[in-house]
Amino acid sequence: MGDQPLIDVDWILTNLGDPIGTSLLEHIKLSFLPILFGLLLALPLGVLSARWKPLYPPVLAGVNILYAIPSIALFFLVLPYTSFSMWTAVIPLTLYTLAILVPNVVDGLGQVPDHVRQAATAMGFGPMRRLLQVDLPVAVPFVIAGLRIASVATISMVSVASLVGLGGLGQLILTEGFRNYKFLTPILVGIVLSVALAFLVDGLLVLLQRWLTPWTRDDSRKAARAAAPAPEGDPA
Amino acid sequence: MITFERVSKRFPDGTVAVASLDLEIPTGRTTVFVGPSGCGKTTSLRMINRMVDPTDGVISIDGADVRGKDPAELRRTIGYVIQQAGLFPHRTIIDNIATVPFLLGWSKAKAHARARELMELVGLLPEQARRYPHQLSGGQQQRVGVARALAADPPVLLMDEPFSAVDPVVRASLQEELLRLQAELHKTIVFVTHDIEEAVKLGDSVAVFRPGGHLAQVDHPERLLAVPADDFVEGFIGYDRGVRRLSFFRADALPLRSDIVLGEEDTVARARETVRAHGEPWVLVVHADRTPKGWLGEPALTAAEPDALLGSLATDPYGHVFRVAEDSLRSALDASVLSPAGRAVGVDAQGQVVGVVAQSELGSAIWSVGGEESDPAERGAVGSDG
Repeated sequence: MGDQPLIDVDWILTNLGDPIGTSLLEHIKLSFLPILFGLLLALPLGVLSARWKPLYPPVLAGVNILYAIPSIALFFLVLPYTSFSMWTAVIPLTLYTLAILVPNVVDGLGQVPDHVRQAATAMGFGPMRRLLQVDLPVAVPFVIAGLRIASVATISMVSVASLVGLGGLGQLILTEGFRNYKFLTPILVGIVLSVALAFLVDGLLVLLQRWLTPWTRDDSRKAARAAAPAPEGDPA
Repeated sequence: MITFERVSKRFPDGTVAVASLDLEIPTGRTTVFVGPSGCGKTTSLRMINRMVDPTDGVISIDGADVRGKDPAELRRTIGYVIQQAGLFPHRTIIDNIATVPFLLGWSKAKAHARARELMELVGLLPEQARRYPHQLSGGQQQRVGVARALAADPPVLLMDEPFSAVDPVVRASLQEELLRLQAELHKTIVFVTHDIEEAVKLGDSVAVFRPGGHLAQVDHPERLLAVPADDFVEGFIGYDRGVRRLSFFRADALPLRSDIVLGEEDTVARARETVRAHGEPWVLVVHADRTPKGWLGEPALTAAEPDALLGSLATDPYGHVFRVAEDSLRSALDASVLSPAGRAVGVDAQGQVVGVVAQSELGSAIWSVGGEESDPAERGAVGSDG
């Protein structure tokens, strides 16, 4: 390793399409699908837990236990059923996002003040209409805050999936960096792309939230002064 | 008319919120439910739009049992205003107001046109239409709440302590606004409050609830103040009900005297003559346009030069005045109590002095309405007490 340059530009240029580009695309796919499936599972779980309170403690315990299982172990656990398809990575990573997303959905649904909920009912909103038109829109900032954490966590965890040969930028780091050449360039490229992807997705989610929730924007200075501090912190 | 027939509500834990309530709420009038917390007033209100269903008895609107309708559809025909307004934080003011029209399937253009109409009606500015609720003050939010409740022009309006979360000054102006709106709209309003002052001010009739969900008294507010049904009602109304009741009697029947009102151009000698002739120790000096300047007492007149003009002398402040045509006996009494001369100054709509009245004369007027058989029909015309 010692006599090699830190960044081998020639190597990057010759490998730009494959394996760098393909690994990146693979990485995007392997992180996007778990986030999507996680959201699709967390919404009904969260809605049920918020509506039917006794359900929430066991649901929360369940998703937390899943989250506590080491990812490597979980990959190998699903391997016999999924073999070396992408599902070997997608299923465990989906399960991990639940530990972040479910509590955020439940908290978000709890954000509608009691008087607003009562007013909605008193004006003739049925339960489903209230859920779709009041509770969920108001929960959006919380759900997106959860998505931001879940996506950063997932993007970084996908790299581990390469240990079971599932591709992604982890593959680049592992195969190109350690096994084949034992030099730093692929490792650095893998790290930089992974971090850049995480930043990009986070930024896109912030934009999505601004677009979906115009009421949380304080265009008027007056509102900034009048409003209480934003309920959710800025998840790093 | 909304009718409660032997309506009871027992909650699953065994507490009785409402016990065999019989009540008729007349169409087009404001009926206030008032009482301490835990008296069942809010539960009773919520049984009208089926937010709560009674365990026994029947509630009907114009003869139709409310349980004969789908709750959501029933509620779209009944306006509802809640404490803290209950506005949707994620919708603009105009969309908040158009909520029920949207639920009823109106077109967006029609719903928004109606919402703009209502914004004007409740005193909101057109440029506030695209704001979000958190950008408005509490009082403005509650105006939006009232506008939203009126959006589909429901005949019935339920108001659940709508003004108790705003400060007293804003509350007073919202109350005035409601009286003004009701004079125009004639809705059947059921209004819940724990504040007897508010109940007396707003209600055409007031239903006092006692803890345990029993109705203690239903009456015209003036009658309620004059003849409380029992010790509970009397205690709940408070100690100065006699004075508060004077709000229901107009000041225009008071014997005002203008013979002790003098101009700035009159002389001290003339004023002394007036004092002697009428046996009155005070004269009121008015400006050339007959707006009040102040009081002059006998000692000040004795000390002054006889040829001096009254306008050149320092007068005692006249305190606050009452408007003869609009104000109540309570305002006149208050003005006399606060006057250094012990006399209240009555003015017309232009602020010109009509005459003055002494506490002793006020006393006779108060005594004459003191009987229990007074005529509450006089009430309607009396405005607020300033």
